[in-house]
Amino acid sequence: MAGGGCCPSMDLFRSEPMHLVQLIIPMESAHRTISYLGNIGLIQFKDLNADKSPFQRTYANQIKRCGEMARKLRFFKEQMNKAGLSPSAKPTSRPDIDLDDLEIKLGELEAELVEINANSEKLQRTYNELMEYKLVLQKAGEFFHSAQSSATAQQRDLEARQVGEGSIDSPLLEQEMFTDQSKQVKLGFISGLVPKEKSMAFERILFRATRGNLYLKQSVIEEPVLDPASGEKVEKNVFVVFYSGEKARSKILKICEAFGANRYPFSEDLSKQRQTIEEVSGKLEELKTTIDAGLVHKDNLLNSIGHQFEQWNLLVRREKSVYHTLNMLSIDVTKKCLVAEGWSPVFASNQIQDALHRAAVDSNSQVGAIFQVLLTRESPPTYFRTNKFTSSFQEIVDAYGVAKYQEANPGVYTIVTFPFLFAVMFGDWGHGICLLLATLYFIIREKKFSSQKLGDIMQMTFGGRYVLLMMALFSIYTGFIYNEFFSVPFNIFGPSAYECRDPSCSNAATVGLIKVRDAYPFGVDPVWHGSRSELPFLNSLKMKMSILLGVAQMNLGIILSYFNAQFFGNHLNTWFQFVPQLIFLNALFGYLSLLIVWKWASGSQADLYHVMIYMFLSPTDDLGENQLFVGQKTLQLVLLLLALISVPWMLLPKPLLMKKQYEERHRGQAYTMLQGADSESYDMEQEHGSHGHEEFVFSEIFVHQLIHTIEFVLGAVSNTASYLRLWALSLAHSELSSVFYDKVLLLAWSFNNVIILIVGIIVFVCATVGVLLVMETLSAFLHALRLHWVEFQNKFYEGDGYKFHPYSFASLGEEED
Amino acid sequence: MAFWMTTLIFVLVGVFASLVVRLCCNRGPSVNLLHLTLVITATICCWMMWAIVYLAQFKPLIVPILNEGE
Repeated sequence: MAGGGCCPSMDLFRSEPMHLVQLIIPMESAHRTISYLGNIGLIQFKDLNADKSPFQRTYANQIKRCGEMARKLRFFKEQMNKAGLSPSAKPTSRPDIDLDDLEIKLGELEAELVEINANSEKLQRTYNELMEYKLVLQKAGEFFHSAQSSATAQQRDLEARQVGEGSIDSPLLEQEMFTDQSKQVKLGFISGLVPKEKSMAFERILFRATRGNLYLKQSVIEEPVLDPASGEKVEKNVFVVFYSGEKARSKILKICEAFGANRYPFSEDLSKQRQTIEEVSGKLEELKTTIDAGLVHKDNLLNSIGHQFEQWNLLVRREKSVYHTLNMLSIDVTKKCLVAEGWSPVFASNQIQDALHRAAVDSNSQVGAIFQVLLTRESPPTYFRTNKFTSSFQEIVDAYGVAKYQEANPGVYTIVTFPFLFAVMFGDWGHGICLLLATLYFIIREKKFSSQKLGDIMQMTFGGRYVLLMMALFSIYTGFIYNEFFSVPFNIFGPSAYECRDPSCSNAATVGLIKVRDAYPFGVDPVWHGSRSELPFLNSLKMKMSILLGVAQMNLGIILSYFNAQFFGNHLNTWFQFVPQLIFLNALFGYLSLLIVWKWASGSQADLYHVMIYMFLSPTDDLGENQLFVGQKTLQLVLLLLALISVPWMLLPKPLLMKKQYEERHRGQAYTMLQGADSESYDMEQEHGSHGHEEFVFSEIFVHQLIHTIEFVLGAVSNTASYLRLWALSLAHSELSSVFYDKVLLLAWSFNNVIILIVGIIVFVCATVGVLLVMETLSAFLHALRLHWVEFQNKFYEGDGYKFHPYSFASLGEEED
Repeated sequence: MAFWMTTLIFVLVGVFASLVVRLCCNRGPSVNLLHLTLVITATICCWMMWAIVYLAQFKPLIVPILNEGE
């Protein structure tokens, strides 16, 4: 890579210098080497087997094993979640466990857990069945008991009646019915449980199926019972069906099955009933203790798993990633070495070599791994070494596009200009302090927040806490400049520069005040607030300020393009892009800025719109009363000419010169090909293989340059206009906050009523927090973002690089969660 | 002149801040250069903002006209 040393190196300004390295690792130490490199986390391996499917690769088996282990661990986690256990957060001191041992152990544990689960399920099922049986016994028993007692009572009644003969209303057939015992039909019955919601349908179907030849008795169980089949709590009814005949019986049995009604045997004999109830209760007790013992055992097992779960999980993940990486290496023909290729920062070379050495020693390998730097034309990945403060600003830039390898990073200036432009739109030191307090809360509790999982919005706010901090600090500063504290001005920096024209102050509201001393030393004079001329004054001020700040920032962008051109040794870009761009922008808008400042300093009444418009329409006309300084007309003519010249200057020379350069190079290449045929042909081929032969198409280059020129020329106008959003948003912010203050807080105050005042304060606080602190922060943030991404970065930033993703154990956890 | 005096104060504050940053976190030349750049950029931003507002009130074309109610 062409690396010009135009200026001393600055952290973060250029991405780290990278090189493509080749590692030749002996087979026996490969695993250890990769895991040591994973600990360092500063090398991004290239996939050298991209054409092979995952199953054809060398370590496919090991990955399968790791996947199986990960599945077991997931199963454990599921079981722990079910049991309400959470794996202990801190990984216990880790005695190095072997993967093979772990695999066996995990297998055993899984088998044990599965068996326990199966057993306890079986036991639970039996338990539930017995429970249901017991309920049937009780309910049906009650029913039989009451039926029997009423029957005996009836019998007795009947007998008594028979004794006292002669009653007229005694039924005639009675005698026959009760005396002829032999003719009594033998009734069968079935008892069991049916789900409550199905009980009505069950009854109806039974009735229809037997044509009413049955007697069904149901009784509600107060508490839901556990269904043996599903293990869920279901509300059920106990039923007893009496029927006659075998046919009816089989029908009823089928219906029971269809309705999921569990049947239980029941004997009519009272003593037998009591006996079974006792038996069942006894069994239930036994089962209960067995189940409890099983649960305790399972809990213990899960607890012991929980202690080591995180450790195992980490190990399995690491191993999987190691094998995954090993799969990306190509195998030497002798099958004794693995060849790895990857990008790594130049500064990490020593660390990597050290790790290779340690790995070779630790695995008793006879030969160490070989580390060598490869030359390539491929563009390396972009890697910025950021810290917790700079990373969030870098993310703002990366969100637009990752920097090309070693190009000037706008992130450096973004750290200051982003919060500054935000604050220009959010200038109020009251709101700034609120924002600062909120941010400080995040920063002070940083350790706590970074260890726990946060919601989406919280996570975003927390991630950008240092951006917010800078934003708050600059808002406080610009708040002092705008002299606004919740829209209220203060005379902090001395008395106002304006006073009444006469002691009576009679014409203060008509003609206005008069300036009696030097301008207010710091910020906006408080006297403007609430005056009738406040808006005209502030509008003029903020509009001009937007243009001045915008021109300054765009110039910074163009200057950065100069640094890029110097760094990459691209003199075409310096002379035919940077210079005309700088001239064009400053001939038009630099001149406008000069006029603005000149007008302020001189107190002239010249109309700047008029000056700027007629500079183009009729540059030779006399300026008349709009003349600000001597020789202005000449200067304007010169600037206009420069601006006009710089357009073709940007457009034409660069593509033409590029064409010439290409032709020269091509001719030279042909010569070398002829002369040093053998020695260089290999290199050439390699180059061609990796880079390809770049065709030079003049029309393409020219069109590209044309687009670039048009974009810049139009952009100079539209981007300057775009900076006026600074004015619009800052105006909106100050107007909104003064509306909330005047129309809510002061209005509530004027009623002299405590309740109204409290309501007013509540409304004021809600409006301030909701609208000004949250909504306005968001909108000002977005506008500052746009100004950086579009207006600033399009002057120099290519942003077509790709990020450096090193193979690192530290980032494993984040990826998988 | 008050404008140049305050500008001088800004310069002094900027110099002081860069010295403080240099003394507090001296982590090699490239990091120091980054810090210096940041401090200079911040100082220029703040100075520009102040200078613009000051100059706008330096020789005002309009004066505050109070509201009738006040």
